[in-house]
Amino acid sequence: MVPLSERPRITALVPLARRLSVGLLTAVAAVSLTFFALRLAAGDPVASLLSQGLTTPEQAEAMRRSLGYDLPLFRQYLRFLANFARGDLGVSLYSGQSVTAIIGSQVSSTVQLAGLSLAVALPLGIFLGSISSWKTRPAAQRAATTLSGLATSLPVATTGVISLLIVSLLARRQVSGVQLWLPALVLGYAAAGPFARAVHAGLESSLNSPFILAAKARGLRRGRRMYWHALRPALPAAIALIALEAAFLFTGTVVTETVFSRPGLGRTLVRSILQADFPVAQGIVALAALIYVGSQILADGLGWVLDPRLRDTG
Amino acid sequence: MIAKRLAWGWLVVMLGIALLAPWLSPNPPAQSLFDPLAPPGPGLPLGADALGRDFLARMMVGARLSLLLTGLAAAVTLIVGGLAGFSAAIVGGRYEVAINWLSNVLLAIPGLLLAMLFVAAWGPGIAAVILAVGIGFAPSFGRVTRSIAKSLLEEGYVMAAQAIGGDRLWITSRHLLPNSLPQLASYAGTYFAWAFLAVTTLTFLGLAGDPSIPEWGALLDSSRSHLQSAPRLAAAPALAITLTVLAVHAIASKEPVP
Repeated sequence: MVPLSERPRITALVPLARRLSVGLLTAVAAVSLTFFALRLAAGDPVASLLSQGLTTPEQAEAMRRSLGYDLPLFRQYLRFLANFARGDLGVSLYSGQSVTAIIGSQVSSTVQLAGLSLAVALPLGIFLGSISSWKTRPAAQRAATTLSGLATSLPVATTGVISLLIVSLLARRQVSGVQLWLPALVLGYAAAGPFARAVHAGLESSLNSPFILAAKARGLRRGRRMYWHALRPALPAAIALIALEAAFLFTGTVVTETVFSRPGLGRTLVRSILQADFPVAQGIVALAALIYVGSQILADGLGWVLDPRLRDTG
Repeated sequence: MIAKRLAWGWLVVMLGIALLAPWLSPNPPAQSLFDPLAPPGPGLPLGADALGRDFLARMMVGARLSLLLTGLAAAVTLIVGGLAGFSAAIVGGRYEVAINWLSNVLLAIPGLLLAMLFVAAWGPGIAAVILAVGIGFAPSFGRVTRSIAKSLLEEGYVMAAQAIGGDRLWITSRHLLPNSLPQLASYAGTYFAWAFLAVTTLTFLGLAGDPSIPEWGALLDSSRSHLQSAPRLAAAPALAITLTVLAVHAIASKEPVP
């Protein structure tokens, strides 16, 4: 037991607070990047509508004024940031719907898919990672290593189409593909790779550490109990990965939703890019950046809470 | 060892097909010479696609397109990231801080999404896909390069070169580049694999502009509507992508820590 006086006090929170402020700055910068990338490279978004003959010059002029595109770039940027902070992401150039409303209507489908994928990925990853450290069963070990390697290296588009192919051949009819479980399995398998790697690395290091030798010396047999001994220190790393996986899952849903023709944010993003609907694309990428930065901070925090060893180093 | 040899074999064969596609291919890839979805037969090993085009011919031209796009994208990553990394390491000071900060911001958006942002900015198209994928992974490679170059700057011979008054360009080209090349090369394979994945994914999503280009990702995308009637149209590009990714990973020795 560490005496109470020697336990980390509130000063231990300083690195966490610093991490938070750096994260916040990064998030603002990333959101700004989405603004400048689109406005500097693509120029005037209304011009593309005009060139496609979707508006008349008069309508385009009115649209420019109402969207604020006639202001100097820096004023537009400040306006964009202020609106963003209030949750106003502008309106779609096509439907005229607010981007926030579009995101709101699509987010539940994406969250459902990402959540279920995570529920598949975590146990599968821990399972594959543990088996791949199973020295006494080389065949199982090799199979698990191969499977987790494939999970990280194969593109979701390929595994998705292969799974659709298999299912449609088994079912002997065209599969509609809107079901939830197949995309979740495909995405979950892809996301299981990093978990497996983290668990494997943790197990390798704890199996070689003195406390396992001590446990063996005390007469703890191989098998479940010793496994739990070695596995437990490896788990915080894997659980902290959950937060990092949020970003991976978000990118993964872009492809998975397209493969399985599921509605959601990812498919909306692809459509908005193809239609040059900049406010929508910008809103979704900025949201993704926010989720990613937020999840990295969350991962650090989770690791800090779950693994006392991380607190000492700060 | 066998795995590595097989991997090299597969890549060499694909590269050969990519180079010689117009001469090897039995039929022109863009002409509808057959019945739509014609089954495989003599002279038509993979059958025809939905528009009656020889699918093997399209796969062969696809090898050329996929590998070329990937190679160019990976080259953009290596050049942009390498330049940023070396210059940050040797110039140091505020410039290094600025480059670091920029790469941190770019890394705050996952690589594929960053690439999609660039495609959105430039408009869908093949050049946009190449540049977007190339720049999307450049921050990560820049980081790797910078840390390798930084560690080399501590070496005695580099310090000696600095002491005798060698300028930055000379030190970079004479000492840093040749000595970091083996390490950088061991990472290059992974960046090639990532670029291949991203390129096929973006073309799969239709972001290369023209949906009828016979790139493997685009072929995979268009096969989805005929899974039941012509599963080979999905199986062939899926297999080609899978084997190529596996081959590159088998050869690539090092992966950067993200």
